[in-house]
Formats: sequence, structure tokens, C-alpha cells
Amino acid sequence: MMVSFFDQFASPSYLGIPLIAIAIALPWVLYPTPPARWINNRLITIQGWFINRFTNQLMLPLNVGGHKWALLLASLMIFLITINMLGLLPYTFTPTTQLSLNMGFAVPLWLATVIIGMRNQPTIALGHLLPEGTPIPLIPVLIIIETISLLIRPLALGVRLTANLTAGHLLIQLIATAVFVLLPMMPTVAILTAAVLFLLTLLEVAVAMIQAYVFVLLLSLYL
Amino acid sequence: MLSRLVLVSGGLVQASRSFHQSSQSLAPVPPLPEKGGKVRHGIFPEELFTLLYPKTGVTGPYMLGTGLLLYMLSKEIYVINHETFAAASIGAVVIYGIKKFGPSVAAFADKLNEDKVAKAQEVKDQAMASLAQGIEDEKKEQWRVEGRHMLFDAKRNNVAMLLETNYRERLHMVTNEVKKRLDYQVQLQNLHRRMEQEHLVNWVEQSVIKSITPQQEKESIAKCIADLKVLAKNTQARATV
Repeated sequence: MMVSFFDQFASPSYLGIPLIAIAIALPWVLYPTPPARWINNRLITIQGWFINRFTNQLMLPLNVGGHKWALLLASLMIFLITINMLGLLPYTFTPTTQLSLNMGFAVPLWLATVIIGMRNQPTIALGHLLPEGTPIPLIPVLIIIETISLLIRPLALGVRLTANLTAGHLLIQLIATAVFVLLPMMPTVAILTAAVLFLLTLLEVAVAMIQAYVFVLLLSLYL
Repeated sequence: MLSRLVLVSGGLVQASRSFHQSSQSLAPVPPLPEKGGKVRHGIFPEELFTLLYPKTGVTGPYMLGTGLLLYMLSKEIYVINHETFAAASIGAVVIYGIKKFGPSVAAFADKLNEDKVAKAQEVKDQAMASLAQGIEDEKKEQWRVEGRHMLFDAKRNNVAMLLETNYRERLHMVTNEVKKRLDYQVQLQNLHRRMEQEHLVNWVEQSVIKSITPQQEKESIAKCIADLKVLAKNTQARATV
């Protein structure tokens, strides 16, 4: 089972059957639905508490109209966190390393926020393009800059997630290979192992990635 | 995922119930097991050890594990490569996390559930306390009711006294009024009589005065003077004596 460095990023298929569907559907399997009981077991209690807490935090800056997005954003967050955390296990495939998936999340959601904003209150939405208190000569330039920043947002969202995850996984692979190769020559190994461990804990900042992702999505909600 | 097992078994219980013979009710729900299934070393269920114990004793499953591992390594079914180290690192991180934060997280989840139960219990306790208090109050009211007749007697006495007083007052008032009217009549009569008297006296005086002729007047004045002289003489005589 020799794997090359980039095999882990190839979409997995077994005997010609694309397994990507299973990979994407996996997080759904891991979270049991709360049964119709009043007091549940620990797992369900914690799961419920966590989702509750997170959605609460997420909805804080939004007015009531923005709360329509609660379900979408919470489930998006859980999905991305699970996929990223599962990708840390060896020999797994992380769907979010594929640019297609991330752009598939980024572009529709961003577009939705822009279109909703434009439809419901076009003046305010357009007004966001010009920050307050700019000196008059700068106005044309600033509008162009703000428009560009608005349009580049989905690209940034998708590519940010892809790049972070891909880079993280690649680094793990590289350092692990270095450890493996250096094993006959002992001392360096210890240091590099420590480095791998540290990197891994940092990579559990994949969670923070999701926070960033969803939060940025949130910021574009001028609802 | 023990909960899902239980859920599935619950569903099976329902499925084993014959078609539409009892009411579709999920209550009483079979209780969940208190603790999860016992595991050794965090992954291997205790049932495996119990299964192998009769044949191979205590070290059976460990031998099995070691044998499998060595078999896979020697036959190169599992090749040690860089992923192994990655797996080792992530394994170390995961185990460290679980060991360190496991009990506290479990305690937290338990506390959440405990709080829920405690809240409901408190509601129940409060309801019971208020009902017990209600019973106490009712008993007290019943005791009060027994003493009610004394209260009524006192009240009755009060009322009787009030009535009596009122009656007497009014009687008094009536007497006064009647007396006033009678006095008035008496005064009226007195006044009448007096006026008649005065009138009569005046009339008599007038007529007498009218009837006094001047001759008579002179005679009466002379007689008065003569009388006075006699009196003066008598007085003088008495004075010298």
C-alpha cells in the first residue's frame, strides 16, 4: 500500500465506484438523532448542548431576520468540522480538500446573501460599498475597490478552506515521511515526532477554520 | 453508539408487536441502560474477553491481538510507512485528549441531565409543598369554623345592644319632641291667660280712672292729707314715748 504524496487528494474510487458519496455522507452517520426521550445519554446531551450553544453564538450579531439562516449555518459548521476532523485520521480522504466542494459551498451561499440583500434593501446593500467618512476625492476609487472585494469573497472563502486543509495534510504527510526516513538515525526522530504532534494539534484548528468560514459567511449577511 | 442500538431494539420491539393489535404508543419507553457497554482499553468490548475466556483463559484475546498484528506486519498486509507515524501522532493526541478531558466532559453531560431532572423535581416538590400547605390551611379553617358560634354570639350581642341603644335614643327623642309640643301649648295658654288678665286689669284701671270725677279726686286728696296729719301726730307721739 505505497501511497504517494498526492494520492490522498485523489477522489477515492473502488473498482470504479466513486466512494466520494460515502465520504461526504459519513458525518451524517456519526451524529445520532436525539430519541424522543427527555433525558438522554451523555453523547446526545453533549451534542445537543454544543449545537445549541454554537447556534446561539452565531445568531448573536444578527437581527431576527437573519435567524432564518440558523439551520443552514449550524449544519454547515457541523458538517465541515466533522469532515475535517475525520480527515486527520490516517488513510482517510477529506472531501474539503477538493476545490470543487468548497467552491460549491462558497459561491451559492455568498450569492444568496448578495441577492437577498439587493432584493430587500438595495439602497443599504449598495451603500455598504462605500465606507463612511471617506474623503470626497477617494470615492470613485473606493467604490471600485469595495466592489472588487465583494466579488472576490466567494473565491476567498472556497480557496481559503481548500488551501488550509490541503496544506495541512501535505505537511503531515511530509513530516511523517521525514520521521519515517530518519528512523534509522535516531535523535532527529524524536524532535520531528514532537513537531508532528504539535502540527496535529494545530491542525485541530481545522475547527477554527470552520469557525472562520462560517463567521465570514455570517459577516456577509447584511440582512 | 449504544443509543442507536437501543433505539433499533426499541424499533424491533415495536415491529414484533403484531399488526395493529395494541395501541400505537411509545410509552412506557423501555429504560436506557445506565452505563454504556463495558470496554477494555477503550475499544475492545468486554464480550470478546468473556467469549474467549473458556477456551484460552485470561491472556487469550491479547495473544490473538498480538498474533494478528505480527501476521499483518510480517506478510506485509499492513506496511509501515509514513502514515503509520501520522496515525501514531493522531492516536497519541486523541488518547491524550480523552484521558485528560473525558471525565470532566462526562461529568458536564451528567450535570446537564441532573439539572434538568432537578428542575422538574423542584416543580414537583413545589407543587406538593403548596398542596400540603393548602391542606394545612384547610384544617385551620375547619378549626376556625368550630369556634364560629362564639363569634356569632358576640356579634349578636353587639347588634342587640346597638338596637337597644338606638331604640332608647329614638324613644328619648320622641319624648322630647312630644314634651316640646305640649310645653308649647301650655305656654300658649299661659300667654293667653296673662294677656287676658292684663287686658282686663288695664280695662278696669282705665274705667276706674275714667270714673274718678274731679270732685272725688279733691275729696280723696283732702282725706289723704288729713290721714297723713293724723299719722304724723301718731308717729310723733310714739317717738316721744
